[in-house]
Amino acid sequence: MSEFEQYRSLFVAESRENHENLVNFLLELEKGTDQNAIDEIFRSIHTLKGSSASMGFADMERLCHTMEDVFQLIRNGSAVMTKDLSNTLLSCTDLIEEMLDDIEAGGDSSSKNPDKLVGELKSWLGQHGAAGPEKPKAPAAQKIPDAPEECGQSPEIPTSDAGPEYCMTIVVAPDCMMKDVRALIAIQNLEALGTIHTMQPSKEAIDEGKFDGTVNLTMASEAGEEALKTAALGTEIASVDIRQTEAPAAPQATEAAAVKKPQEAEKKQPPASADKNREIKNLRVDITQLDHIMNLVEDLVINRGRLKQIAEEHKIKEMDEAISMVERSVSELQSLMMTIRMIPLSHIFNRLPRVVRDVAQYDHKEVEFIMEGGETELDRSVMDGLNDPLLHLIRNAVNHGIEAPEVREKAGKARKGTVRLSAHRDRDNVIIELTDDGAGINIEKVKKKAVEKGMIAADAAATLSTEQAIDLLFQPGFSTADKITDISGRGVGLDVVKRSIESLKGTIKVDTVPGKGSTFELLLPPTMAIVDVMIVRICNRRLAIPISSIVEVANFKKDGMHRIGKGDVTMLRDEVLQILWLNEMVGSSDRCEILIVVQYQKRKCCIPVDAVEGKQEVVVKPLSNFIGTTKGISGVTILGDGDVVPVLDINTMQE
Amino acid sequence: MGTILIVDDTLFMRTLLKNILFSGGHTIAGEAANGEEAVAKYKELKPDLVTMDVVMPKVNGIEALKTIKQLDPAARVVMCTAVGQEQMVKLAIKSGAKGYIVKPFQAPKVLEEIKNVLAS
Repeated sequence: MSEFEQYRSLFVAESRENHENLVNFLLELEKGTDQNAIDEIFRSIHTLKGSSASMGFADMERLCHTMEDVFQLIRNGSAVMTKDLSNTLLSCTDLIEEMLDDIEAGGDSSSKNPDKLVGELKSWLGQHGAAGPEKPKAPAAQKIPDAPEECGQSPEIPTSDAGPEYCMTIVVAPDCMMKDVRALIAIQNLEALGTIHTMQPSKEAIDEGKFDGTVNLTMASEAGEEALKTAALGTEIASVDIRQTEAPAAPQATEAAAVKKPQEAEKKQPPASADKNREIKNLRVDITQLDHIMNLVEDLVINRGRLKQIAEEHKIKEMDEAISMVERSVSELQSLMMTIRMIPLSHIFNRLPRVVRDVAQYDHKEVEFIMEGGETELDRSVMDGLNDPLLHLIRNAVNHGIEAPEVREKAGKARKGTVRLSAHRDRDNVIIELTDDGAGINIEKVKKKAVEKGMIAADAAATLSTEQAIDLLFQPGFSTADKITDISGRGVGLDVVKRSIESLKGTIKVDTVPGKGSTFELLLPPTMAIVDVMIVRICNRRLAIPISSIVEVANFKKDGMHRIGKGDVTMLRDEVLQILWLNEMVGSSDRCEILIVVQYQKRKCCIPVDAVEGKQEVVVKPLSNFIGTTKGISGVTILGDGDVVPVLDINTMQE
Repeated sequence: MGTILIVDDTLFMRTLLKNILFSGGHTIAGEAANGEEAVAKYKELKPDLVTMDVVMPKVNGIEALKTIKQLDPAARVVMCTAVGQEQMVKLAIKSGAKGYIVKPFQAPKVLEEIKNVLAS
């Protein structure tokens, strides 16, 4: 095993691709017979089998091998795909995925027992009359009727062929795999040198796999004994016995060299020039290395700022020029790194058809799943965080959104519901939309549930707008499902979805039309590492506010401030804005002169600050986990002068 | 020792085979990931030997073998195969393949077959 350790990550990476391919084409096949899908499935399983065998992952190989046997039958038309078989095969793919997880973690797939699934497939194979994959292993020699045991006893010995007659016995090595193929190669090599008159077993029998490892033949050839022996004596041929059976008709045996193919000489050209070999255009890079490079780029960005500051302080003209050169390179490097880290959404989209199919089947619903814009790219770190929320939303759409076929028919809709997932780039954001044509969100039901759960008073609920009612869905502990199903409602609610999206600096928005369906819109930044911020100062401390949250900067007049309930508000033109004091964070200041108006979704509020220092591109470093959740701060950044500055998170600040 | 073109649709298998062939002192002329590429690379690189996977996307190993044999009847092609593919291999041998190696590869057997086919 250890000698293969170096291939482990490559094995896992490629096997995952094949696994994904396998799942997708299995789903494709459920829509109807499709030869291309069958071929693709076969190829993927075959590759998975071969690779796992090479790595010595016996359990995975066993599972894949049985799956391959099943598909062999489907491929050659001896059996057809059924829903049950498809389910079993998909369960197999799940197990393969678990095995790959195990292998990736350093295991050897043996912790996942495939016996049950292999058993199911074997019994299916039994029912469909398959003893083996391609050739039924028939006991070889016995089946050939009264064959002559010794050579030379053959009834018809043609005399027309040139050269002496030889009698040969070729024995294939006992440990050879595919003995019959070895025999065929030897026979073919001999045929090139003369004419075979008799053969036992016959070529046809060998072709059918009826072969026990020894072949006897007679042939006429002018090539000579040595040449014949060499031709027959290939890899895994244990022995070749050759003897001449009659007086040579034409004694040309020594001219063996003449038979040597004329091409042989030209063949020995110098090897194709070595420099042509280096045309590898893509290479796989470990993601941790990429992360490391990204960290270094971030350090460069920080130090670039520092250098700039020093140059400004000391007013060195030459250095200014040098720095502007460095700056250009760093900017380019930075944007290049960003591009490299981008991966298409199809990376996670491709897993979703399976999810939809499973949920729909579980709920006895009919769903058409459409995906668009899988080529839209996102930073890997955003992608990582997007997977679970997206999965949850998709499950919800099928589970809660789409109605049962009968219900849909009664409502005058098609039996089959549609769930559409689309993605596109919109200026600085990536927008992912998940639309279903289901029943829509029942606002009254939501309100009732919230009251029942004690989340809101009954009279307050009655006055809620649709928008506010939908907000309730995103509160912790809310679920409208009547019962907890296996599919959604695993204790993970929309509140977790919302939090995950927000931790990616994204937002989530819901639109719903009763009877027509709902749309969940996720707005995400394509990358999170480098952010445009405004540096502000309060009580001589610096804070960074993401530009994307800022809508306006205005003068702050203390006398325009009013107290309503527990909070302060101020008027800005005809708008009442809630004031967010940052007293707890930086201490209270009485010198606030500027108002930063920020907005999160449709809620506006404002932050009074002492001064605005300017705009800057910074690298936001997330806070370490052991600090716990910090509302209002998304991370810290290091400015050019080495100052560590917190970056405000407007989303969580308003809560 | 010879120059070898490795044809397989997985990088994993190509890497595995490449290292085995390296250890036997062979030179890797190039790699191809499907039959179509294999034919193109064969024309370009004129290797002494080709290791050809059977099951591949686009153009499979058998078809690629046939095309290569048409281009160069003396081409030495060794099929990479797995247990259960006997019929395919036989078809390949009849179509002009000079040998075969069975996955999972065992380095000594692979090198022996390559040596024998190169010597043929």
